[in-house]
Amino acid sequence: MSLLRYTLWRLAQAIPVLIGIVTITFFLANQIPGDPVEIMLGPTPAQEQVEAIRARYGLDRPIHVRYLTYLSGVATGDLGLSIYYDRPVLEMILLRLPVTLLLMLSAFAFAIVTAIPLGVLSAKRRNEPADHVSRIVSLIGVSTPSFWIGLVLIIVFAFHLGWFPARGLILPWADPADVRGAATRLEVIRQSAHHLFLPMISLGTLQMAQITRIERSSMVDSLQGEYVTLARAYGVPESTIVRKHAFQVAQLPVITIIGLGLSTALGGAVLTETVFEIQGMGRLIITAINNQDYELIMGTTLVFGFVYVIGVIITDVTYSYLDPRVTYGDD
Amino acid sequence: MAINDTTDIDDATDVGDGSADGDDADEIESRVGLRYTLKQVRHDTTARIGIYIVGFMTFVAAFAAVDYYLLDYAIAEAVWYNPETDPDRVERLLPPIGMENQFGRGVLEHPLGTDHRGRDLLGRVVYGTRVAMTVGFMATTIGLTGGTLIGAVSGYYGGWIDDVLQRATETVYAIPFLVLVIAFMTAFGRDLRFAMIGVGITAIPVFNRLIRSRVVSIREEDYIEAARAAGVKDRNIILRHVIPNSFAPVLVQATLQVGVSILIVAGLSFLGFGAQPPTPSWGQMLSVSRGYMLPAPTFSVFPGIAILITVIGFNILGDGLQDALDPRINN
Repeated sequence: MSLLRYTLWRLAQAIPVLIGIVTITFFLANQIPGDPVEIMLGPTPAQEQVEAIRARYGLDRPIHVRYLTYLSGVATGDLGLSIYYDRPVLEMILLRLPVTLLLMLSAFAFAIVTAIPLGVLSAKRRNEPADHVSRIVSLIGVSTPSFWIGLVLIIVFAFHLGWFPARGLILPWADPADVRGAATRLEVIRQSAHHLFLPMISLGTLQMAQITRIERSSMVDSLQGEYVTLARAYGVPESTIVRKHAFQVAQLPVITIIGLGLSTALGGAVLTETVFEIQGMGRLIITAINNQDYELIMGTTLVFGFVYVIGVIITDVTYSYLDPRVTYGDD
Repeated sequence: MAINDTTDIDDATDVGDGSADGDDADEIESRVGLRYTLKQVRHDTTARIGIYIVGFMTFVAAFAAVDYYLLDYAIAEAVWYNPETDPDRVERLLPPIGMENQFGRGVLEHPLGTDHRGRDLLGRVVYGTRVAMTVGFMATTIGLTGGTLIGAVSGYYGGWIDDVLQRATETVYAIPFLVLVIAFMTAFGRDLRFAMIGVGITAIPVFNRLIRSRVVSIREEDYIEAARAAGVKDRNIILRHVIPNSFAPVLVQATLQVGVSILIVAGLSFLGFGAQPPTPSWGQMLSVSRGYMLPAPTFSVFPGIAILITVIGFNILGDGLQDALDPRINN
């Protein structure tokens, strides 16, 4: 099977999982106590008004009909209407999704860029001071709540030192006319990076710590491989061995851990967005829950699951692309 | 993570898939037993620190639980302050002893300062241990029980039972777990019980995968074959042979999972899901402290440190157990 066919096969496999997610979120959302219509109209609404609203949002139909309608809607890209905002759910999500994706991507970029050198250094200098420092850093990283890192960063770098803004996020592709104090595209990008820095570290630290740990142990294993011994026997310089022979092989488990970290990072995004008051998907789902906005809760949960599934497929495909031993499931 | 020299890997390339042959098998078998593991852990300095931290936190949590459930904070009131009720003489947001802020100077009476209602911060941090540890242990127990059952049945029977169960857990795993727990708690209730169940459900796939892979490899062992030939019932084979033989790696995972659960619950409480005020819980304290980061930054620091220390304890204990269990590691 070619890589393309493998990719398509993985995408096809994701369909039942996505149907499963729709099912879980639909029934969870319908389990929510309280009446969204009441929240919308106040405690004593007129009967006709209630009925009109129920009909408009399809709440008057039996649950299995609503489920099937919702499922077929999702299949055609229709996530329904937000009861609270009276706007299409998909439209609201598409406004917020880039923000969360930007946050996630920058967090992973930060994690990978710092963790790989740290892990390699740690493996190369095993049981030396540099290794101990790197291992303590990663131990603290996996043990600290991301939102607390955010709070501490705000206190130190925003409030005390004043180096970075404490809240909000500016998208790098935003119109310069909409961004205060920015006349050109370059200034918008600069402001965006400025705003992104603290949330990126807050969200990325856990991933950084996990990748460092895997990178270290994977490199330790790799450096003990027979090919490394052979290269040493041929007198290949140690730095070349680390950079060329040992490094590439050691990256496969790292890709796996990045895929597994996606779930944590998406959850972490909800917390980071709360701490830094960033209007992304995470804030959207919390707002939806507070407003008992069924359709919006289902839509955001579904998109969270969707982003995760796509992320896992990307890591799987990258893995099989890099590992010549993987045969894409052929016998 | 063991900081000292315990990770010398004997011959990493030799034991790739764990299927050691001949004489090696006995040797490895005797090294993976639970008793052996516990003995090893006692000799590992870092793992011992983990045991001390976990032991201390468990003791504090047990003490707080007795005082809360049985004595209605009688001990707290006798020796210190009631951590829930507002004090008569309100000194809000005092800094820790030796420091000063706009609300006053730190006093010995409140070594860590006071919160936004003038309650002693030390007392609230100490009593917050109860919530964190209870949820950590309970959620792990739920995940462990559910995951073990599903994994054992799935791995032992194989076939369509395996397929159905595995696809179902994969679907649950495909929703980022913080989002899943939030949706679950919105549907069923925002209090601590549902936090435990929700976080427990997210841990099921972790244990399921672990147990299932163990069962699949054990299923083919001679002694299982022998038990089956001797007419032992499937259920008894699973309960008496398969599960006990998978106990050691599960113990490692469970230890790490308690730490993860504590982090998730802290995040949930931070978002307003979980222990409700006035019950002291670390995540909820951090959530409130967000409003006072500028005038009283230390309020945001201590609950976070409590989370950090507790989770570090579980992580180094889990890593120590892992090292002790790994037959590749040469002590």
